Amino acid sequence: MDAPSPRGPVAPKPDWPGGAACVVCVTVHMDGPAVEVGRKQVPLGIHSRGRYSIRRGIPRHLGILARHNVPATFFMCGYDAELVPALMRDVHAAGHEIAAHGYVHEGWDLGAEEPELLKRTHRILSDCVGEAPVGWCSPSGRKSALTLPVLRRLGYIYDASEKDDDIPYLATVDGAVSEEMVILPNNTVSLDDVPAYREGQALAVEVLENWIQELHAIHAGAGYLHLTYHPRSGFGSGGPARAAIVDRFLREAAAMPGLRFMTLRDLAAHCLADPGAWRR
Amino acid sequence: MTRMVALTVNVHGLGPEAATEPASALYGRFAHGNYTYHRGLARLLDTLRAAAVPATFFWPSSEAERCPALLELCLAEGHEVAAHGRAFEDPTTLGAAEEAAILEEAHADLTARCGTAPVGFRAPTGTLSAASFGILHRLGYRYDSSNVDDDAPYALGPDGAPGMVELPLNEGLTDATHFGRRLTQSRAEAFLTEELDALLPVDGFACVTLHPRGDLGLAREARIPVLLRLLDRARSVHGAEFRLCRDIAAAALGPDGSVTWNGKLR
Repeated sequence: MDAPSPRGPVAPKPDWPGGAACVVCVTVHMDGPAVEVGRKQVPLGIHSRGRYSIRRGIPRHLGILARHNVPATFFMCGYDAELVPALMRDVHAAGHEIAAHGYVHEGWDLGAEEPELLKRTHRILSDCVGEAPVGWCSPSGRKSALTLPVLRRLGYIYDASEKDDDIPYLATVDGAVSEEMVILPNNTVSLDDVPAYREGQALAVEVLENWIQELHAIHAGAGYLHLTYHPRSGFGSGGPARAAIVDRFLREAAAMPGLRFMTLRDLAAHCLADPGAWRR
Repeated sequence: MTRMVALTVNVHGLGPEAATEPASALYGRFAHGNYTYHRGLARLLDTLRAAAVPATFFWPSSEAERCPALLELCLAEGHEVAAHGRAFEDPTTLGAAEEAAILEEAHADLTARCGTAPVGFRAPTGTLSAASFGILHRLGYRYDSSNVDDDAPYALGPDGAPGMVELPLNEGLTDATHFGRRLTQSRAEAFLTEELDALLPVDGFACVTLHPRGDLGLAREARIPVLLRLLDRARSVHGAEFRLCRDIAAAALGPDGSVTWNGKLR
C-alpha cells in the first residue's frame, strides 16, 4: 500500500456515459454443470443444480432481461460452452456479453496450470460465439500474480474480481498501473444472491429490500451498481421465487432517473477512453 | 444512572488475510480489506464528524504502516488511537517472550506515530494468552477491551493487571458479527437495535464495535444510515453519551486501582 487515498463519505460521481447519474451492470454467472464437474462430482441427482441453469434458469432470465430491455454480462465457464454451445449462442444473439469465468469454475490455487486454463476457456468461448471475450471474473474470487498479465496478452480489457472499491479503477498489471485494463469491482457483499441466500438465509423479499437500499444509496452516491446473480437452483436465483425478485429489482431500477443499464464491456471501454480519470 | 456508549473501531484492512496468506494471494476474496484504505475508514471518520461522535480506534501497527495518513486523520479528528497488536498474531500460538516482543514493538511504533503512548488495548484476533494482561500492565496500559464476559466495566486486578480496567465489548453490538453471517442490512440493524435496547438499561454501558472493511462492516454507503440510526437511538431514546474508552477507563478507575461503575464497586 503506497499513499492511501481517503475519498470521503459520499464518493463524487465520476463521468458516467451519457452523463448518467448511475450505471447498472447486471452480471449473470451461469455456473452450470461446470461447477460440479470441477468438484469431481457427477452432475446428477442432488448435484444437478447447475443443470437447472441450462434447462430453466437461463431461458427464464433471458425472458426477464428482454422484458426490461437490459443488456447483461454473462460469465461463462469453458466447460459449459462445450456442453451447450447453442445456449451460449442464444445468449449472445440476444445482445448480451459473453465473458470468461474459468474452465470448470476452478476456484482453487492453480499454480503453473493457470495460464493454460485461461487460454483454453478463451479459445472455447471465442470459437463458440464468434467473438472473443474481453472480460473475466474469477470463479470464487481468487487471483494470482499471473492472472492479469495473461489476460492482458489475450486482449482482455477488464477484470471483475475485486471487491474493494465503489467505482472502477485502473488495474495493476505486471507491477505497473495499466491504461489498457480496468478493474470493475463486484459487490459480493451486498448485491450478490449467493451470500445472502446461502450464508444469510434471507427470504427473497429480504434480498430485494437489500438490493433496493443499495440502489438508492448508490444512485445518490458514486453511481456504480454491479449486480450479480446465478441462474442455478440451490444457492442461486434460477427458480421462480428468486427470479421474480430480479424482475422486480430491474423494474425498480429502470424507474430511477438518469439510470443506465450497460454491459461491463461497454463500461470498460468508456473508462479506458479516458484512463487518466480512473486512477486510484 | 448515567449511560455511556464506547464507540470503537477495529481498523482491519488487509491484515487479517495477510497474516495467513502470501502477498501474492491478496486479491479478490482475500482483498476485501483494501476497502478500508480506499473508502471505508475515511467514510467512517466523516460520518462520525457529522454525528459529533468521538470514537476509539484500535490500530494494529501493521495497518498504521499501510495507511499512515488515515491514522493522522483519526488523531486530527480528536479520536483516540489505541493498540491492537502488530499484524494479527494469535498470542495463543506464541511463547510469552515472543508475545511480549510483539506487543512492545507495536506499542513503540504507535507511540512514535501518535506522539503519546496508547493506554488501551484490544486483542486483534480476539484471543488472549495467560501472559497478555501482565505484559500490557507492565507497558502501562490502563484498560483492555477484549473480553465479552460482562455488561459493564470491571477491575482487572484479579486477572493479574492491578490498576487496569476491562471495558467489555459486546458481540451483538459488533457489525462483523452480523455481516460475517452475510445478513441483509435490515436484519443486521434489527439485531443491533435489539441488543442496544436491552443492554443500555442494565448497567448504563454499551460498547459498539465497527469495522471499516466493505464486507464485515457498516462503512458501505448503503449501510451508513443503519449506523446513524443506531447512534441517534443511543442518544435520543436511551439518553446515552459517547465517550472515548480512555476517558471511561479514567473515570471508572480509583487511585487505589479499584473500579467503580455507576456507584457500584466493580
